[in-house]
Amino acid sequence: MNSPDERAFEADVAKPAFRLGQGEGRWLLLKTVWPYVFISVTAKDGRTFTLRFNCAGYPQTPPTAGPWDIDCNGVLPFDRWPQGLSGRVKAVFRTDWKSGTALYLPCDRESIAGHPNWRTEMPSKIWRPTDGILQYLELVHELLQSCDYAIPVCAAM
Amino acid sequence: MESVDIFYQIEGRREIQHLEAPAEHNFGAVKALLIEKHGLPTEMILFLEDADEPIDELIVVRERMGSHGVKAHLHRCRHVKVSVIFNGQTVEHSFGPSATVARIKRWAAESKFGMTPEEAGEHVLQIAGTHDRPAPSTHLGALAACPHCQVIFDLVPDQRVNGSCGEAK
Repeated sequence: MNSPDERAFEADVAKPAFRLGQGEGRWLLLKTVWPYVFISVTAKDGRTFTLRFNCAGYPQTPPTAGPWDIDCNGVLPFDRWPQGLSGRVKAVFRTDWKSGTALYLPCDRESIAGHPNWRTEMPSKIWRPTDGILQYLELVHELLQSCDYAIPVCAAM
Repeated sequence: MESVDIFYQIEGRREIQHLEAPAEHNFGAVKALLIEKHGLPTEMILFLEDADEPIDELIVVRERMGSHGVKAHLHRCRHVKVSVIFNGQTVEHSFGPSATVARIKRWAAESKFGMTPEEAGEHVLQIAGTHDRPAPSTHLGALAACPHCQVIFDLVPDQRVNGSCGEAK
């Protein structure tokens, strides 16, 4: 039988809000190798970026996620990461943070550590177990759909 | 018989819910199913997402379904009064309860406060007096219940997640 955290995750991705996001092409659950979950998120230009989530302890413990190359089974090469025009996207997709394994978001387990100030400065972006994976995905999707999003370096060359 | 995914929100409840309905049903029949499923009052009105007027209940679902089904809202009020405050100025308008927070933000930021899409992207709607920033797909009616069908938002900067280079690892 699956562990309680995996069952909680499965229940969340079965909810209508997650399924609607999939149906509308905002994100797509690719595969689960617990505690790792691979979900692609669609950018403004139709490009998709796969995130590898570590969901151990879900949902009470926030997940951590970073861009992933699912074919090579490793961190996505940095020249294939989404870029930003004015810095909003790049502030989250930081190649100099945790070797590219965690997005710089308050709802990320690795990134919230050591940033107690975020709890008061950005309370709406702090992990909410009741919203679960949907909260993380909505934040990333909104960034990749924003005016700030720019194509990866390798695609621009 | 072909069925259609109906994704819907209900007055005063944020969660997106789901019902599978026959494509040949009309919206009156869908509304009846929803009222029965949730034990709702019969005076509920059915709206399609971002429509300011109720859907004609004689229309068949198949005629309005998109690639991922139908998005709808059930509410007792026909309109929700919205106030958006920014830089000490307030703009007001009434929308159908199925209007999304994303639509309200575009209306306020771009149409009323004259922001460019880029500037609007740097701002979010926050329910006045709270830290609550509803997701863009949230229906207005999910935030307001009859008879007090009003929502007051502050249009606030969406702070960037910034850290000094020194903390990078």
